[in-house]
Amino acid sequence: MKPRHPRYWSLSVKLPVTLAAVVMAVAVTIGLALLVQERQRIRSELEGKALLAASSVASNAAEPMMRSDYWALFKILEQTAAVSDRGATRLIVSGMVLDRDGRVMAHLDPEKNPIGLFFGGSEPDRGARVMDLLRARRPAVLWTRGEEFVEGAYPIMANDGLLGMAVLRLSTSEIRSRTLAATLTIFGIAVTLAAVGSAIGAFISGRMVRPLHWLAEAMGTVAKGEPMPAPRVRGHHHDEIGLLLKAFDAMARDLEEKRRLEKELATGEKLVALGRIAAGVAHEINNPLAGLLNSIDTIEKFPHDRSLFDRYLPLIKNGLHRIQSIVRSLLVELRVEGESGRATGECLDDVRDLIRAEIQDRPIRLTWSNALACDALLQCRRVQQAVMNLLKNAVDAVGDEGCIDFHAYADGEDVVIEIRDDGVGVPPENLSRLFDPFFTSKPAGTGLGLWMTYRLIQTMDGTIEVDSEPGRGSLFRIRIPRDIIEETGNDERIAAS
Amino acid sequence: MGLVSRRGALALLAALPVSRLAKAETRPVRFGLTAVVVRENIDFFERWSVYLQRWTGRPVTFVQRRSYREIMELLETGELDFAWICGYPLVRHWAAGYLDLLAVPLFNGAPLYRSYVIVHERSPYHALADLEGKVFAYSDPDSNSGYLAPRMLMARQGLTPDRFFRLTLFTYSHAETVEAVAKHMADGGAVDSYVWEYLERNREGLTGRTRIIERSATFGFPPIVARRDGDPALAAAMRKALLRMPENEEGRRLLAALMLDGFAEADIDLFEDIAIMARDIAAISRI
Repeated sequence: MKPRHPRYWSLSVKLPVTLAAVVMAVAVTIGLALLVQERQRIRSELEGKALLAASSVASNAAEPMMRSDYWALFKILEQTAAVSDRGATRLIVSGMVLDRDGRVMAHLDPEKNPIGLFFGGSEPDRGARVMDLLRARRPAVLWTRGEEFVEGAYPIMANDGLLGMAVLRLSTSEIRSRTLAATLTIFGIAVTLAAVGSAIGAFISGRMVRPLHWLAEAMGTVAKGEPMPAPRVRGHHHDEIGLLLKAFDAMARDLEEKRRLEKELATGEKLVALGRIAAGVAHEINNPLAGLLNSIDTIEKFPHDRSLFDRYLPLIKNGLHRIQSIVRSLLVELRVEGESGRATGECLDDVRDLIRAEIQDRPIRLTWSNALACDALLQCRRVQQAVMNLLKNAVDAVGDEGCIDFHAYADGEDVVIEIRDDGVGVPPENLSRLFDPFFTSKPAGTGLGLWMTYRLIQTMDGTIEVDSEPGRGSLFRIRIPRDIIEETGNDERIAAS
Repeated sequence: MGLVSRRGALALLAALPVSRLAKAETRPVRFGLTAVVVRENIDFFERWSVYLQRWTGRPVTFVQRRSYREIMELLETGELDFAWICGYPLVRHWAAGYLDLLAVPLFNGAPLYRSYVIVHERSPYHALADLEGKVFAYSDPDSNSGYLAPRMLMARQGLTPDRFFRLTLFTYSHAETVEAVAKHMADGGAVDSYVWEYLERNREGLTGRTRIIERSATFGFPPIVARRDGDPALAAAMRKALLRMPENEEGRRLLAALMLDGFAEADIDLFEDIAIMARDIAAISRI
């Protein structure tokens, strides 16, 4: 798996990692400080050992030196070196005894440093340094850059007279090996602490993240409008997370209560709307019914008067037609039911001829612009119906003279249809009721046209908005999502709504 | 009264040696060791001490000193009853008359040994003459094979020992002379042929790092001496103990450990060559 940016890491990973890193960093920092200290300590310890070895040789060497007992001096050096031997590692790697003039009296490597000759014949620099030490007559520790040894030099004295000097060379590999051992120890401790730290981090983050995780899930659930899940995290948290959970719980409860109220309210509104529709229907049907009943009564009273038939039958027919038209309008959804005919955006152009017929020869200018591409599929009948209704209204609004613009175009995922007129416009007080059923400003209107349009667009999950000003005209804008348009068979939804 | 007192005094004088002798019998036999043998082998000397005690009837203590001279002084003062010494101090102290030759070891069938001049195995030296200006290790200034004989070898080659080397040193042990050469401490050294052979067999690797470049003529093997004024019975018992060693199991084991074939009675004439050499070298030194 491709490693992701830490920004995407889970908190349950981030926290242990951070804690482990911090612990590791602290352990390593302290470790390094200790290491430096330890190294210094080992160094000075080694210096002490070098001086001790040199002084031990020096104290034993005085007497053999005075006797020129080279072999005894060599033995002293050998024994001192042997004492320092611990297993395979040799601490004292070399050693020598020089006389006061700097001649080698004894050397642990006599092959390279023959006795009786001046020390440093092959290395004049070293010889000079050693001579300086000899003249100083003081114990000294000698470090040589780049060499893995330290030298302790100790003057050999007899009654305040200088006989010579003992120089013991100690290997510094001990510093390295002991530093390495210390490093390994420190590293081990650091890793262990880091592991413990990450374990603690994992535990803490587990405790922290679990409620947060639940919270995120619960929020998602609540946002979808489903009831809040039962808390899986026991409320024993009294920290910030506990407070957060409590706050969320309270909020979710409030939200649920609000939703319930809204539902109740919506049901009420629906009932009110239904009542209004029922009243409208009753009123609209009642009017022609009264005339119809009157006509029928009159015909019944004079059954032999044929003239009455001629007079009243057309009235009865008209009344029944009106009722039929009302009922048809109310059943607009049923009318389009079962129709899933989809066609390209061009199908809207059929409406143009129909509305031309409506305009007849009135001086009304119709501007028609259909920019919907051939591939934009529409539930044609529904859109045609809605457009037709709006255009009819526009024709009514402009009266005898005016302009009507039709403009259809695709806007991202939406299909937008705009119908503009420069007619009478809608007074602001009527705007809110514009799409209510049976609301009409026309004497012969049923008040169902815009309501029907609204319902049609709703069935396609679209929106309709109106922008109008009295005397300046109106703009109706339909916006239908393309994916809904392209969907098939959504009659069920229509029936359900 | 005067007589009585004189007699009494004489009686006292006569009683003195008796009481000294009685005391001496309880004291252990003191046997001096010099570098003519490899003295570091403590186990061996403990076993030898037990063996000698069985034959002499008295506990035997081995006494070691650093140099031949110290052992000779202890012999001279009577602090030692016996000692295993070198032929060189023997001939030098013979004239003083306090030493008796008790026995002489048989090495490779004869009471003879040599002096070897050795150098490091890797060194480019092949003769004494090559060692001019080098460091030379002697064993002891009183040693024949480790001092007198090599100096004589040089003198016979026309080299002046005291000016020939850059530096000389004494190790006071033939074994350590070998060690000094093996470890490059000395460029050359003179050792007892018996000790070198002994080390060759018993100390792996030490003689292997050395190489013999000169061999001297043979000399009388370092003898075992007794104080002439010691207890004659003890001296006889000690001589018998030594001479009979090849005849018994433990004695043979001890001899094998010493790499010797046995002990023989010897005459001072055996060391005549050493005596002559000592005289000659003294003459050379005086030049």
